[in-house]
Amino acid sequence: MKPVQFILLPLLVLLLIVFTKRLRKQVLLKGVFICIILALMVLTVFPDVTTTLANWVGVGRGVDLVFYFGMLGLSVSCLFLYLRSVRLEEQLTELARTIALQEADSPSEKPT
Amino acid sequence: MTQPTPADIWVIIPAYNEEKVIRQTLEEVLAHPFQVVVIDDCSTDQTAAAAKDLPIHFLQHPINMGQGAALQTGNTYAQAQGAQWVVHFDADGQHRVADILPMVAPLWAGEADITLGSRFLAGGSGEAMPALRKAVLKLGRIFHGLLTGLWLTDAHNGYRALNAKALATIHITQNGMAHNSEIIQETARHQLRYKEVPVVIRYSDYSLAKGQSIWNAANIVGDLLVKRLFQ
Repeated sequence: MKPVQFILLPLLVLLLIVFTKRLRKQVLLKGVFICIILALMVLTVFPDVTTTLANWVGVGRGVDLVFYFGMLGLSVSCLFLYLRSVRLEEQLTELARTIALQEADSPSEKPT
Repeated sequence: MTQPTPADIWVIIPAYNEEKVIRQTLEEVLAHPFQVVVIDDCSTDQTAAAAKDLPIHFLQHPINMGQGAALQTGNTYAQAQGAQWVVHFDADGQHRVADILPMVAPLWAGEADITLGSRFLAGGSGEAMPALRKAVLKLGRIFHGLLTGLWLTDAHNGYRALNAKALATIHITQNGMAHNSEIIQETARHQLRYKEVPVVIRYSDYSLAKGQSIWNAANIVGDLLVKRLFQ
């Protein structure tokens, strides 16, 4: 075992626990995350696997392959998070508007 | 239907941190028998205190959401109160009260569902404008033309009037400053009848400092693109 494996493996185990506990209802998302983390664990223990995979798809080094897919994954999650925040903002707007409408003061209610 | 009167016009004024000018603007509007709705977009200054004791409809957003959101809140409120004629009016004094009736006149005459103020029609105030601002507005005009097929003479001065049909048809979802383009898009999409009316926009030092910088045009285009791509 190399030192880097001692750092990465416990972190991955921790992530695995967090995801399984947190995402109770989102089964699909949970499945995707768990698969990714398990794959990362395998790659941590057997780093040479990435090189073999890389050579299959025409990439020189295994690290590069992991890097490319990492970038892709990050971009996709950014997009999902962004769309989610747009949805949340819409809901927040409706909520704030409802409050504003409920608490509206009309001229007839004012003391003269 | 009986002939509408100025008392049937609902003037909707969104306000965000306008404590210095809101009272004067409101007093000018209240010199006429209009219904006035102020939406305080969660100002951090004394805007609410400066406006609240006047005979107006006063609404307050619990969080700051932007001018587009405030206008839609005003529209929804006015609609619930049975408003037939609505005017969007600026809090900072750059719109003239004298233009309210000319803005509503084509709606009353049944010629249009929505009127848009224009500084560049005869009688408008376009000549007195700084050259750079004028150039950006021309670009905005072309942008709107390409986007919506409506070739207006002006863009983005925020002065507009809606009848009950336009009020019920247009729902502003752009909380920020892209709401103006959105309203023009909605006008085109629902084939509402529109008309431009010459208006005079007064550029005081206050409204210039407070108003939109021309760089905001880039933000507006960004907001619209995002909406078009993802919804």
